[in-house]
Amino acid sequence: MKDANVRESLSAKRRLLMAAAATALLIALATLLAPLSPELRAYARGLAFAVLAGLSITLVAFVVALPLGALAASGPRVFDAALRFACDLVGSLPTVFVAAVLWAGSSSTIRFVCALGVLRGLEQAWLLRCEIVRLEAEDPESVPHGLGRTPLLAFLRRRMSIALGPLFVSASFSVAWLTALDAAVSQAGLRPANAVATWGPLLGSPQPSPLPALLAAGSVALLTVALHALFRPSRAV
Amino acid sequence: MRAAIRRLFGIALTLIALSVGMFWASANYARRPNNPQPSPFAALPVFFNPRPIGVRELSRDAVRAIARGEPSARAAQATLARLGGAALPYVLPALDSLDPRSRERVALSLTPVALRMEVARADELADGAQAVLFWTRFWQDRAIDFRTASVRHLTSRLAERSIALRREDLIHVDTFALPALIEDLGRVKSATDIPRVQRLSSVLSHITGLPVVCPPGAGVADARAVVDSWLEFWDLHGSEFSALDGPRRLASTFVETQYGKWLAAVLRGGLGRTQTGDRALDLVGRGLATTSFLLFVGLGVGFPLGVAWTRFERQRHQFATRAVSAVAGTVLAAIPCATFVRLFAASSAGLPCAMLLVTVTTAAWVSRHLARSTMSQSVTPIAAAFSVSAPLGATYPPFVLSAIVLVELIFRLPGLGRTAALSLACGDVNAWMAASLALASASLLLRHAADLIRPASPRPATGRP
Repeated sequence: MKDANVRESLSAKRRLLMAAAATALLIALATLLAPLSPELRAYARGLAFAVLAGLSITLVAFVVALPLGALAASGPRVFDAALRFACDLVGSLPTVFVAAVLWAGSSSTIRFVCALGVLRGLEQAWLLRCEIVRLEAEDPESVPHGLGRTPLLAFLRRRMSIALGPLFVSASFSVAWLTALDAAVSQAGLRPANAVATWGPLLGSPQPSPLPALLAAGSVALLTVALHALFRPSRAV
Repeated sequence: MRAAIRRLFGIALTLIALSVGMFWASANYARRPNNPQPSPFAALPVFFNPRPIGVRELSRDAVRAIARGEPSARAAQATLARLGGAALPYVLPALDSLDPRSRERVALSLTPVALRMEVARADELADGAQAVLFWTRFWQDRAIDFRTASVRHLTSRLAERSIALRREDLIHVDTFALPALIEDLGRVKSATDIPRVQRLSSVLSHITGLPVVCPPGAGVADARAVVDSWLEFWDLHGSEFSALDGPRRLASTFVETQYGKWLAAVLRGGLGRTQTGDRALDLVGRGLATTSFLLFVGLGVGFPLGVAWTRFERQRHQFATRAVSAVAGTVLAAIPCATFVRLFAASSAGLPCAMLLVTVTTAAWVSRHLARSTMSQSVTPIAAAFSVSAPLGATYPPFVLSAIVLVELIFRLPGLGRTAALSLACGDVNAWMAASLALASASLLLRHAADLIRPASPRPATGRP
């Protein structure tokens, strides 16, 4: 059984290569199709935004989530309470409204993307916090302790490596999450007039053109599967 | 018991903070260029008004502008005419401090007020000297009438019985009587309240020039609508006819803000009125059924389906089956459901399609999260679902509510998500706040329910949940 599991899992290097190949395939496809029509050009521009913004959101979210989640789970209780309150606040509304307001209020696309990253980071920090607390509760050898009293390396090796699972699942949906928000904001008529070219209008406009919309949807699916495969853990763990 | 109270207190605190955040969001969103319908309170600060403006400040500025003959004097004359009797206690005593020419200009500016108060004819106030003389004598004779207590007495007597003389006395003090008149409108509970509203609204209409009256033969609903219209007028313009002194000035720093005005409408009942004139609470009532049903479908059908899916995937030994299942789940959760809807369904498909989409998306999303969660532990997916209910409870509500907003928008379903989205887009603050607060309450309840169903586990000594 263990052999089968090991056989199923791919090495990190191969997974990274596969994800890069999927992205390169999409970029090549977009480059080829872009000159054919304005709608396909919009698709190509949307792809550039989706890839760059998706990566930025993932990066910012990890930067926010890792320290916050670890501190909330194993640090002073004030971090836990603050994170819970923050998550209750930002998570109580459909994200589409939060995104619409952030987009309207952001002076640049970079700020908007960073704000989305922070939003995502808070959600992932809570996932991480819950996972660490759960692992501690299920571990019979575990004793209540704070981050300050546990050797950091031991904490990172024993808890963080396992607890990062839900974070990776969440991270693999970043591009899909961004595109869904974009489509919903466009559909609701909340998209700023001067926004950059994205897939939102292709997917969320009242009368979308079938080919670019299909391409965009397929690309989202491919990117998400690639990210999911990239973050897929070894089953031998 | 203590835990339940603490949890309820936490929910209430979160909702209050959320209302502040959502109001800030809508105010911020409404500030964008080319906003089609800005809020009537858009000129006010959002949360804190460091310098609330009442009738004293408005009349002082108007007198100054008219006395100096500034270019803004015409607008100041219009302001003074609108402020009417409420401004007289501040304008008339100040006449003596002005030079003769300025005094005449200010006195002439008050001519429309005198005509509305029915205390003089136009030909009696033809030139500046006549106007100054008239207003000086008027204040000597009538200053005693401009007292809050006497005006309240007059208003309450008019509210009780109709006598022409009382009506005239109130018209003689003009807008100075507005606070008392609005207060005495009271609530319309039965047909016996209708005559009172008719008498008072007639005087209010004369003073303000607004055509909001309760006609003879009006029913209880008509009278209520008239009272609501006057209360809305007072919400919007009340401070312009009131002196902001002492504690009232302090309170006005909060009351005279956009948020304060919204809160006043909420406390009056019905969560305020939308731009179409409906009660926002009725809007929530209409939308709640659709959204709750979709939420129930997502939770009741999609969630168990996701658990079953994970269980199925876990029991397969072939790599190909597992891979296909994983890819299918990821694709279904990843592709924005808007695309599915747009490409493969007609908008006439309506509720069944919306239910299908919410179910499939939820199932795929839950299966992906559970698959990852059970990957490292030897527990069943059902145990994992309970075990990870707290984190899923935190991330699932915004996800499923966003999906519900999408399907409601696309299929034109009359749900809370669609109402909230459309009202945010058109700047209808009351409708937005009502719909989004209802959605937020549902989300918070889901999160806390997820916390509650998690099985008891040994907690750290620090008391962390």
